[in-house]
Amino acid sequence: MSKHILESLTLPGTLASLSSIGNYVMKVAAAAGIDKSAAYRLRLAVDEIATNCVVHGYDEGGLEGMLYLGGSIDDKTLTVYIEDTAMPYDPRQTPAPDDLDVPLEEREIGGLGVFLALRGVDQFEYEYVNGRNRSIFIMNRTSDDKPKAG
Amino acid sequence: MAFNANLEVTDKGTGKITLSGELDASVAPLFRAEVEKAVAQKVKRLALVMDGLDYMSSAGLRALIFAKQKMGANTDVYIIGAQESVMETLTMTGFHNSVIILDSYDAAKIEG
Repeated sequence: MSKHILESLTLPGTLASLSSIGNYVMKVAAAAGIDKSAAYRLRLAVDEIATNCVVHGYDEGGLEGMLYLGGSIDDKTLTVYIEDTAMPYDPRQTPAPDDLDVPLEEREIGGLGVFLALRGVDQFEYEYVNGRNRSIFIMNRTSDDKPKAG
Repeated sequence: MAFNANLEVTDKGTGKITLSGELDASVAPLFRAEVEKAVAQKVKRLALVMDGLDYMSSAGLRALIFAKQKMGANTDVYIIGAQESVMETLTMTGFHNSVIILDSYDAAKIEG
């Protein structure tokens, strides 16, 4: 099985980095031949986690730091990861919203981002490694997907 | 693509906000600012025109909660022309139950 390591990307841990992160994800999704709606879901998932890293990890933690992205493509999957150096936090521990049926004006606003992220990707993993939170997003490549880059 | 949110108040009191580009947490304040303007002008209902909105994260959902809270539970919020992936986000999170979904801006339907 061949594995193509993606170019990595380091950006400031601020909301202004979100559009560059989106562009990166769309680019690697295209390289892996991921279809449009799956690419959208992957982009959304990475955006949601990146936003939480910035807002809850860095800003609310009174910290500054970078966001580190990278990944790989193999025969069956596209893997993208994002790392930050804020306090250890596993997004999978975020309580899922339990009020999806409740009228908007009565909703709790927490948990929606992680909910969308976890549901949008084929597999989600989390590790705390070498002082970094690492969220890993895995999307299956269908048999029709052909890599655009060598 | 750069985000834009633009409010127009119709003579029947509809706050029509046209959204375009990509709505993430970095630009959501621009959307909220237009909602605040609509509230200040005491609009009777809100119509969010989204044909040109290619992407919306949960920041957009939070802005919708903000809009509903600001305008009151009885104020109608219309979502118009939402693209498929944006619609999927609204449905997955139950937001479609709290807004009125239309394919296009139908003034008769909206303003009666």
